[in-house]
Amino acid sequence: MIERWALVSGLRGDLETYDLIQRDLKKTRGVTSLFVLGDLVGPERNCDALLDRIKNPHRGDLKPDCIYGWWEEQLLAERGFRGERKADALRLSQGEDAVNALLNTVNPSNLNWLASLQFGFIELDCALIHGSSSDVGDNLTSETSPLILLDRLTRLNVNRLFTARSTKQFHLELTGGGINSQVKDLNGKREQQQEVPKRSVIGIGAGLNYTLYDVGSDKTHFLTAGSQTKTKGMGFA
Amino acid sequence: MNHAIISCLHANLPAAEAVLNDIDRQGIDTITCLGDLVGYGPQPNEVVELIRKRDIATCQGCWDEDIIDGLNACECSYPSQLAERRGHLAHQWTDDQLTDENKSFLASLPTSLRRDRLLFVHGSPNSQHEYLLPDMDAFAALERVETAGADILFCGHTHQPYVRELRDGSIRVRLQNAAHDCDQGEELTLPMRKIVNAGSVGEPRHGSTNATYVIHNDATDEVEIKEVPYDVGRTCQAIVEAGLPKVFAWRLSHGFEFAEQAEDASHVCER
Repeated sequence: MIERWALVSGLRGDLETYDLIQRDLKKTRGVTSLFVLGDLVGPERNCDALLDRIKNPHRGDLKPDCIYGWWEEQLLAERGFRGERKADALRLSQGEDAVNALLNTVNPSNLNWLASLQFGFIELDCALIHGSSSDVGDNLTSETSPLILLDRLTRLNVNRLFTARSTKQFHLELTGGGINSQVKDLNGKREQQQEVPKRSVIGIGAGLNYTLYDVGSDKTHFLTAGSQTKTKGMGFA
Repeated sequence: MNHAIISCLHANLPAAEAVLNDIDRQGIDTITCLGDLVGYGPQPNEVVELIRKRDIATCQGCWDEDIIDGLNACECSYPSQLAERRGHLAHQWTDDQLTDENKSFLASLPTSLRRDRLLFVHGSPNSQHEYLLPDMDAFAALERVETAGADILFCGHTHQPYVRELRDGSIRVRLQNAAHDCDQGEELTLPMRKIVNAGSVGEPRHGSTNATYVIHNDATDEVEIKEVPYDVGRTCQAIVEAGLPKVFAWRLSHGFEFAEQAEDASHVCER
């Protein structure tokens, strides 16, 4: 059977969106795994209902595997789960009101569950991370320098990096190129040539916009939950 | 104009004095130090005071940082528990010996120094603990220099002096996005950049007991790696007399470092 992953992020407590995605996935052939790449919570609404649904899937739901994202990092830091660090990035970018709003969105039992989530998954030769191997807040887009993208891939020694922080959907392949280097030390000089490995960075989108990835064919499909406009050829029943 | 870059003095006063004398003999009066003034060696106060007295521009090394912030690097800094215990012992000894004034000086050091297109750091622009080894992935090496906005990156930390020129680079990409649902190909030409590692004054690991440093000419960009012999026996004796692990003296007398470099040198501690 062809393995097909669904990749979701940026739900930010929106149970209705999650429900729409689950309905889509039920109609899609061959989805074997659902990965939620963080930002399950956000400051806009109470997130407990979504978190409860994710922790206790409905009958027929695809059971999600979750990691934490930027919003969870801010929440957990402010709640004392990150040592001396606080939600400084959120405070700096959106002010004290946003920090206070975020603090009231999750009850303590869900907070402990969020604190148990991992930074990322390595599946086959793919890394699934909210930001990147550098930081949960690393905002990779299709405009990010390919040199930086290659660095983020190299740090984990993976061929594909699935990222969500930018909220954008894109599939950027590194298809070729190379570099020469000369090292001089006390033993003399030596030349080195290195080629660009064929690797990809995939932005999976956020909220209603999610991504399907066909593992066998290395194809990505960018979808919008509840929309049938981009489902052609996707094996929808 | 020539300027000298020194690094990783590691509380080795005879080595520090020999290198500074060598620099003075050449009439070079601009010196930059890339940190690790202390750690492993037996004369931490003397070396810090020498740097302060000479008013040498210095950035903070990983040992300097650990003395101020405490040992909070993760365990993967060390390849074995034995090496970790030795490192912790040296840390505690250094912490006990250093005066408050010298600790304040270490705390005041910046993590990087910049002069126009030249950037000076201890490990890498990312962290004082990251090793930029001479054979590391060339694209990752270039990324460290380019992202920091420098033409030449001067670093230490590995205790192996080298000059690495990264050139003729390019990356071809193809983009598929949700908006266009079509492929766009393009090629990025990468700039030429250089990494210069100053080696180590106080604990060389390049296969010789000689202290190393580098001289850079900022008009021609030529770099010369210098080796300076010093009285290794004097430092070894002081290590033993101070009660520090004798293996520190043994490896100094051989010029090799078998113990304390992380197995995965590319690892950056999560602090």
